[in-house]
Amino acid sequence: MLPAIFLLLACQLLGEVLHQLTGLALPGSVIGMVVLLGWLALVRRERPVLTAVSAWLTAHLSVMFVPSAVGLMQEGDALARYGVGLALATAVSTVLTIVVTALVFRWALARFTPDEVGKRPVPSEAGA
Amino acid sequence: MSALSGMLATPLVWLAVTLGVFEACDQLSRKSGRHPLAHPVLWATPILIVVLWVSGTPYPVYKDNTFALSFLLGPAVVGLAVPIWAQRERIARLALPILLSLTAGAVTSIASAVGILALFGPPREILASIAPRATTTPVAMAIASQLGGIPALAACIVLFAGIVGAMGATPLLNLLKLDDYRPRGFALGVSAHGFGAARAFQVDATAGAFASLGMALNAVMTAALLSLVAALL
Repeated sequence: MLPAIFLLLACQLLGEVLHQLTGLALPGSVIGMVVLLGWLALVRRERPVLTAVSAWLTAHLSVMFVPSAVGLMQEGDALARYGVGLALATAVSTVLTIVVTALVFRWALARFTPDEVGKRPVPSEAGA
Repeated sequence: MSALSGMLATPLVWLAVTLGVFEACDQLSRKSGRHPLAHPVLWATPILIVVLWVSGTPYPVYKDNTFALSFLLGPAVVGLAVPIWAQRERIARLALPILLSLTAGAVTSIASAVGILALFGPPREILASIAPRATTTPVAMAIASQLGGIPALAACIVLFAGIVGAMGATPLLNLLKLDDYRPRGFALGVSAHGFGAARAFQVDATAGAFASLGMALNAVMTAALLSLVAALL
């Protein structure tokens, strides 16, 4: 288990260092994700423990961001003033993004990968 | 009394309280069949805020003493590389549809969220908090703080986006007469992160796999786009 944890921390550390050096607004942890992706491509082998550790972390993401979400208690003024705008902008943006992503995917699938079209049709009774 | 109030500023107390409250909310969420409105964070957060108010604990004290939990967000984000890597063959096969719809979705998400909110005239830090609204919460918080936004506000916005996406996607996608689980799932993951992926998995395994992929890829895409924008501004 330790090698897997070390690998995650080492990638994050490298990500943070690259973040500091480049001055990019890309968060260190996201750079670390890309670094790990590169490592997985470079050193190819089965990694059941890394898979289990990262799956465990992903499964418990919710509780990890609770302490930050509680910080909302300091943002009462912002919520009172811009709450309506925030809710409206978030809801419209979420709906619009689903529509655009789905339609572009369908269009590109038909345009560039015609072999793939209709490979997995939805049964008509499914309420997805 | 002073011994007791001293204890109120230890990691032991606040980690135990946070996990306890979260676990109780999680039980209720499980009982509801994981309904988006029963998401444990949605209930644990206000309950903990009340606990802090009642006990007279300032937020910075709570934040310091729950650092162990927040710290895990970093390695968790790094670990998102593992499911992306596991799906490399699927990504290669559908490279163009994935890349094009991901880019279109990320741009739409950022532009529409910031554009609409800007009509209300908020300061820059509020705009920076909504820009990463489609990404998974830890990434959104990291991006928001990079852009000078408020991580807690970003977390709250992301939660709300997840609820809207998870509850609205099915009627919306049926309206589009989209009968392929790949774009359906992918769109849900790109726009509504983990909430969307959880909803997609309830419907179909393929939709779920594509939703997870959309979530992970959009974390990178949105972060890259916004750091580019930040560098240009």
